[in-house]
Amino acid sequence: MATSTESLPPPGWNREGLDGLLNAFPEGRLSEIVGPRSSGGGSLLLALLARAASRGGLVALVDGADAFDPKTAARAGLDLRALLWVRCGGRLPPAWSAADLLARCPGFAAVALDLGTAGSAAPPSFGVRLQRAAAGNPAVVVVRAPRHVTGSAAALVVSVRRVRACWIGAPRRIRLGGLVSEARVLRSRFDPRLATPGRAWLIEWRT
Amino acid sequence: MTRIACLFIPGDDERIKPALLEIALRHSPSVEDGGPGIVYLDLGGLERLWGGEEEIARRLHRAARELDAAARIGIAGSRAGARFAARAGGDVTIVPPGLDARQLGLAPLALLGLGPEMAARLGRWGIRTLGELADLPVSGLAERLGNEGPRLQRLARGEDATPLRLWTPPPVFEESADCSWGVETLEPLGDLVAGLAEMLCARLRRHELSADTFEWTCRLADRTTHQGDCAPAAPLADSAAAAALLRASLEARPPRAAVEAITLRARPVRVGNVQPRFDEPPRPSPRLLTAALARLSVLVGARGIGSPVILDTHRPDAVRMTPFLLPSPQPSPQRGEGARNPSKENRNPLPHRGRGQGEGAILAVRRMRPPRSVEVTVAAGAPAHLRAAGLAGRIIAGAGPWRVSGEWWTEAPFVQDEWDVELDDGTLCRLVRDGRGWRLEAVYD
Repeated sequence: MATSTESLPPPGWNREGLDGLLNAFPEGRLSEIVGPRSSGGGSLLLALLARAASRGGLVALVDGADAFDPKTAARAGLDLRALLWVRCGGRLPPAWSAADLLARCPGFAAVALDLGTAGSAAPPSFGVRLQRAAAGNPAVVVVRAPRHVTGSAAALVVSVRRVRACWIGAPRRIRLGGLVSEARVLRSRFDPRLATPGRAWLIEWRT
Repeated sequence: MTRIACLFIPGDDERIKPALLEIALRHSPSVEDGGPGIVYLDLGGLERLWGGEEEIARRLHRAARELDAAARIGIAGSRAGARFAARAGGDVTIVPPGLDARQLGLAPLALLGLGPEMAARLGRWGIRTLGELADLPVSGLAERLGNEGPRLQRLARGEDATPLRLWTPPPVFEESADCSWGVETLEPLGDLVAGLAEMLCARLRRHELSADTFEWTCRLADRTTHQGDCAPAAPLADSAAAAALLRASLEARPPRAAVEAITLRARPVRVGNVQPRFDEPPRPSPRLLTAALARLSVLVGARGIGSPVILDTHRPDAVRMTPFLLPSPQPSPQRGEGARNPSKENRNPLPHRGRGQGEGAILAVRRMRPPRSVEVTVAAGAPAHLRAAGLAGRIIAGAGPWRVSGEWWTEAPFVQDEWDVELDDGTLCRLVRDGRGWRLEAVYD
């Protein structure tokens, strides 16, 4: 596989694109971010939480794999005091229940369930149950998983794939500079135009 | 005729102040906390109960000595007179009725506790003692100082018509239950605690208070005690939420043996009622959030819930959890200056709008906890191939090593070399090598 060693674009590049994508996540509905590891899905989830917290809201993260890195989150602008972090220690059954519980607790701006990169089959009707929990609650409820796990319940499904890694330094690489990923909306019940084939968001994530 | 006793402890030891107030309250129903090291008692009508003033003073002195406190007692017709008598005199000094002005004549002006501006003003006039202030003409004093002048002069003459600001002991929010038969399982223990919590919360609501911490102490059948506490996300006086929280906490930390007696205490705080602002996002209600956190603690354990705090160190993944606290509601700017919120000091401050903009789109890191051991093949000094559970591949790009080290002055120093590598399937990960070999520390996502 060819590896790009070109320099990164200037700061602020394509930020409008990211904001436009974040605006697509509906409140009171279930959303899903799918994509393999190192695709930028975790970064998209982090950006979503950081934006919700920056508006003064409280956010909850159910961390199924206990993989959340607070230091990176703080750099991304997430106010850690506004974050309820639920560490499930790699056990996914409690993570399902915790997400369901928090989605039913009104007052959070965003409730996220991160299933990690391994992923596993969700319990039957989990998606429908989570969707019902999110309904009527002005929170963005989002599941991050390597595969599509919520069935038809998710109102928005965003697929993320890796485009290329960006390394700093040539010819000898000095450090990892970032990752360029592409996000596509596979399903949007509220704005079908977002899911138009060929429409994609190219996002540059920096280390 | 008003007679005031002053209990004075030199040295301003705040630790014995509550005990002093208790002593005073044992002798008189009218007690005032007079500031650091000073307690006033109204002696009116106490002669029939305790005897004369000398007897009361001796009793007070004896009771204070039992606390190993070198107390001095002064009795006079006013607070200022009693305070001066206690400070300037011996163990017990009694100013006869009507002689306050003469007694106070030599007292320094500072006895009145004047503000710096007033003290400087009187100092410029050459007034140093209360006697000098008492001798000034009232009309001239009123012309120059307003109502404050005659008031200070009356105090200087020992004429103090202001009643004592009565001190009452803070209410103790504690309920106990004795179950000599021994409660062996958590379910009846939870019911018992729920009953105590209901009584406590009812008392809190009557005082318009909330509890920010609940503490319990169990006497166990094996003659040991079991103690614990739990803090709701926001102060509450809702019995159902408190019971749910206590049940979950007891489930997380169950007693080792059958419980024979239990005592539940609540730490009261007064929470100001502040109307939420229209431009702020809604918050979870304390009752619902507390109940949700209690159920979460049963699901994942109490240690797995909270807000992360980044520690001030370069050690990788140095993070600790703190209880998740609801931000205290902040009053609107128009009305906020006079509003009081006593609980805001120990509450999470409200995240401000626009705060925490960060550095933009940041590549997230998924940490392995603990870092996973991996097999790494090294070629030409750099990792070339990686194999781990669920992750294997040829390394097509990488950068490193970056040495991270620190805390060499402690018993647990750390030193490791970090590599960022890209596998042929596109996975970006961070490898570290230390004395224990290669480990996968994180995956970029």
